[in-house]
Parts: sequence; C-alpha cells; structure tokens
Amino acid sequence: MRINSKLLLAVTSMSLLFTATAKAELNVFACEPEYAALAQTLAPDARVYSATTAMQDPHQVQARPSLIAKMRQADLVVCAGADLEIGWLPMLQMKSSNPKVNSTDKGLFFAADQIDTLDKLSHVDRSMGDVHAKGNPHIHLDPQRMLKVAKALTLKLTEIDPNNSGEYQQALADFSQRWEAKIPQWQAEAKGLAGKKVIAYHSSFRYLFNWIGIEQVADLEPKPGLAPTSSHLASLLTRAEKGDVMAVIVASYQDERGAKWLGERANLPVLVLPMSVGGNEQSKDLFSLYDSLLSLLNGVK
Amino acid sequence: MSALNTRVSLLALACAVSSYSAMAEDSSLTNPSISAVLDGYYQTGDRPMAEREEGFGLGETELALSANIDEMFYGKVTAVIELEDGETELNLEEAFIQTLALPNGLSVRAGRFLSDIGYLNNQHKHTDSFTERPAVYRAFLGNHYFDDGIRLSYVAPTDLYWTMGVEAFGGDSLRAADEHGERDFDDVGVYTALTKIGGDIGIESSWQLGFSYLRNENGLAYAEEHEDEEETADEHAEHSHSASYTGENTYIADFVYKWAPNGNYKYQNLTLSGEYFRVTDIFGEEPGHVDEVDDMDDHEISDDYHEGWYLSSVYQFSPSWSAGLRYGQIDTFEIHEDHLDPQKLKETEFSLAWHSSHFSTVRLQYTHQTGTNFDGFEDDNIFTLQYVMSLGAHGAHQF
Repeated sequence: MRINSKLLLAVTSMSLLFTATAKAELNVFACEPEYAALAQTLAPDARVYSATTAMQDPHQVQARPSLIAKMRQADLVVCAGADLEIGWLPMLQMKSSNPKVNSTDKGLFFAADQIDTLDKLSHVDRSMGDVHAKGNPHIHLDPQRMLKVAKALTLKLTEIDPNNSGEYQQALADFSQRWEAKIPQWQAEAKGLAGKKVIAYHSSFRYLFNWIGIEQVADLEPKPGLAPTSSHLASLLTRAEKGDVMAVIVASYQDERGAKWLGERANLPVLVLPMSVGGNEQSKDLFSLYDSLLSLLNGVK
Repeated sequence: MSALNTRVSLLALACAVSSYSAMAEDSSLTNPSISAVLDGYYQTGDRPMAEREEGFGLGETELALSANIDEMFYGKVTAVIELEDGETELNLEEAFIQTLALPNGLSVRAGRFLSDIGYLNNQHKHTDSFTERPAVYRAFLGNHYFDDGIRLSYVAPTDLYWTMGVEAFGGDSLRAADEHGERDFDDVGVYTALTKIGGDIGIESSWQLGFSYLRNENGLAYAEEHEDEEETADEHAEHSHSASYTGENTYIADFVYKWAPNGNYKYQNLTLSGEYFRVTDIFGEEPGHVDEVDDMDDHEISDDYHEGWYLSSVYQFSPSWSAGLRYGQIDTFEIHEDHLDPQKLKETEFSLAWHSSHFSTVRLQYTHQTGTNFDGFEDDNIFTLQYVMSLGAHGAHQF
C-alpha cells in the first residue's frame, strides 16, 4: 500500500535524523529535513532533530508539544525562513522559553537570509493566495545557493560553539569539496532537461527548475496555498493540449489526485519528486536527493 | 472594561486598517504584526449563557497588534469590538507583556491575558471549530477566562513536553453573585496552578494532557438573607462575561489527541479533545452569620458541587471542508435562599465548515440542547450560520 510504504520511509528517514552520537554536545532543531541533513553534515557530532519530514507540508505544521520540548533544549534552530514557518515557529519560540534561539543575532538561522530569493514581491495581498513577500522559501534545490547557506551555517556554528570551530571548518571543507565536485556532474545530467515545460503543484520546485532551465508553465494550485479545483484543472487540460508539456509534477507531501486526473486526460506522465531528504527511498542525504531528482526527471519517457 | 462610544471604536479601527497596508513580515516594533478577525452570524435560537443571541448578529470583531518590544519583552494588545444592546463597546481582551530572555525555561506574563488553565481557554475563539464554547466554559469561566494578573511558567528541558505554571488574577468576572453590593471581596481573587505534558506517538499522532486547579477566594456563594431573589434567572439570559456558577475550588482535567496521515496536516487531520470540570465549595454561610439552621443541614449543602464535561471530535477531510461533533453537559445548582436546586444542561452539536483558504471559514452548526430546569429551558434545536475570517498577519497555530 502506498501510504504504508511512505510511512515506513518517513519513519526510517526520521530515525536516521534522530541518531545522536555519544559525544553529542550541540542540540540543533531543524524546521525541515533538508536543513537537518545539512546541519548533521556540518556538525557531525551534534544532536540534530527535524521538526518535519519530506511527507509533511512545512507551511502547515502544528506547534505540537514535542516540538516545544525539542526547541526548549536547542542551542541552534535552522529553518528555511522567508516566512515559510510563520504559522508555527513564532508559537514554538514563545512557548519554549529558550532565549538562546529567539533571534538571528543568537541561535536562530534562516537559510533564506543568506541568499537572494526568487520571486520577491513588492506588493502582497491575500487575494493572491498564501504568498511570501520575502520571496520563494523553497531554496534548497539550487546547489549554488545551498553552498552559500552551508558556508553561512558554518559561521553560525562557530559563533555558537567556538570551541569546536576547527571541526566545523573541517566539515565544511569536506562538504564543499564533495558538493562542488558533484555540481558539474549534475549539470551534465540536467543538460537534456533545459527548456522543457512542466505543470507542477505550488512553486515547490522553483529553484530546481530555475537552475536546470525547466519552465513551469502552469500550477495545479489555482493560487498558492489553495487546493486544485475542478474548473482550474479543466483550464490546465486546455493548456496541456498544446502538446509541449513534458510532465505533471508534484512534491512528496502533495496530494496526487489533481495531477493524476490531469495526467490521465492529457496523456502526460505524473512524477512524484522527493521534496527533501526522506522524500523517497533513494534520498538519504542532500547528495542522493539531487541524484534522485535528476534521475526521475531524466526518466520521463 | 471601558465602554466607549461608536466614534472612538471606529477611529481605532481606521488606525489599524491604515497601518495594515504595511503588511507584517517580521514582528518588530517598526513593523508589528497586525491582524483583524471578522465574525458574523445568523442563529435561530438562544443557548444558555452564550455570547450569541437569536437572529442576525456580529460576534467579536477583533483587532490585535503584537511585537517584540526589545530583546527582553514581547507585547500584545487585542481589542474586541462588540455590540451589546445596540451599543458598540470596545473591550480589551489582551494587553500583556511577556519576558523573552529569562533563563532556565522560565517566563513571566503580566497584564491582561488569557489564563492557561484547561485546553481551550488559552486559545482564541476564532480558532474554535464550533460557534460557542462548550457549556462548561460558559457556566464556570464566563465563556473565556481572561483577567488582569501575572503568570510564571516553566518548561522542563525534557524530550517529553512538560510545563508548569502559576497565575494570580483579580478575578472580578469569577466572583460569586452579590446582589446587594454588600460583600467584601478580595482584590486578588483567583490563583491557579497548572501543568501540561505532551508528546508524539510515532510520526502521525500527538497528544497533550493537562491538569489545572483554580482557587477562587470570592467564589463561595452565601445563603440569601434577604427576601427578593427573582432576578437571578434574568441575569443568566443576558450577554455576560461573568461566570454564572462559581465555587471556591475548581479542578480541570483536559486532553487533546491529533492525528494526520504521515503527520501531514494539509489535506486531512483529526482532533479529539475533552475536558472535565468540577467546582466544589459552592455554597456556605456568610462569616459571622448567625442562623438557626442546624449543622446537619448545612453540612449536606456544602458537599454539593457543580460539574461538567465535553468531548469533541473534529475531522478535516479536505483542505476546504471540516466536520465536528461535540457532546457536553453540565450539572449545576441554583441557589434559592438557603437551599440548592439542581439543574442540568445537555448539548449535542454538529458543525460543518467550509474553508475557502486558510483564513476564511463559513460554518453551519446544529445544536440540540436539553435542559432540566435550566434557566427555564426545555428541549431545543438551534441552527447557526456563521463566518469567521481573519486578515492581516498570519496567526500562529496553537496545538
């Protein structure tokens, strides 16, 4: 059964993230699994906890008791930022009474603050849907931007825990070297995808598409944050009939029903891409997440 | 609470709306979070002790402003505009500061704020899945217990969530009835102590359990020495923020359990919650009162207690639709001269809500209520059609 296998996956990926070493000193609370993976890579000895899995929509998370308890103990909180967690992070901060992670001057780190975000808006109105004035927060699928984030996160780690700065520098050097070696390889794999057109759910893969050169010609959501409606899907069918669309794409935490409806009628392949580490069986860390994304995209007929 | 005239409230509204165009991003003093909640309804009958009356009406129109004041303090003001007997009233529901930088998991909140007792009480009413609070809240807490006071809370550094808090309040809205204005009430009338624990069960389920105790120095009702007592029933039917039934000691146990497939709340989720209230030491003899009532009789009376509970289940079955079922009842005593008359209220409620987005709800609710000698209520069926919509800053989602 689909749900069961997804659950099993989520459980195994979470247990990987929970793994704490014997000499765990630093407690890191990550809002999303991609930042849990990055923090664990850059601080191998830290005890890293991920608040969400790749099967959960990070826009809609409950500020549940377990998260308050984890944040209470955190030395560092690492999140995407750009208001992605605005619905739950402030509540966790208020309830956890942990002054160490109150502000970005201290142990709070927003990845989006470290890079230029795409699609910044000068004007935001709720009739536009649930949009973010600070730009698209799903930045982790652009390898160059992730490298910048990794460097900034290492600075933050050394600021908070100067005693181990040597180890953090070492871990960053190791990560950067492996990551930079991978980028040309990924670029080569992505070459054939440049210029392709897709229909996707939300702007979840905005940075991936931007990097590869894929164009998202339509969105399954009528407006950001709203579920696909039948009239909107019907208009997408008209768009798909132009014949230039490669696939319909949804993220691992998104509902596949609208995509399947469209895929069947427009005779298009439906692709479920892992949103993050743990989003499918192959995505065990950031490297294998990128590998899996590219191989799935390349696998379309 | 100050009742201002319409002009002043409209001015306040205009101020809030004009600064709304600077959409809140980070909440800092130069850019505070500003939000407003609009609530309107039509309803076919009256529920006892409720805030909404039969016919068309507006619920609480709420304006809130919050920000970190500096590194040490957070502050929030929530103004509520209500219509009462054709008059527009501006009330302050929240005006508090909270510490941000106390060490060791401690924090202090002071000013006017929602008490942390029970499960629902610290939640804003516009996040509820039903039109009115359960009867236990209406009877024992005056719907929603907020007051002027201070709170100290502590969160333990454990993986299992564990918080403890103590509060002290003025307690005006929880005072026992004082028809002749002769009673000498304590200035600090209410003390509470509470604890909550919670955690996850796997990826899909989360839970929380709470226990609260509320000591109400002014909660004991005294035997009526004077003859006229007929107006008490009328008072209960009015729109009021005061508790209708009080006692010296209130014990509350609450639980909540939430479930979502894969822990992903976006498409489907289920919430089960329930609370039990017991209010003891409800009736006694006035200190210094000399009467010929014999000891046996007196003793029997003071053994009586009010109690009530509810159980609620809400299923969000798509991003746009949710349905809720709630059952609640209260067993209380009405004081008549020197004896107590028992009464009971049972409510079965069904609600169906449509959410066009995360910020708007249109709700249809059916309530079946059965009252035994309850404010003259007998069996009744009530339908309510309501909207609740919020604009401005995202409200954080409380568990």
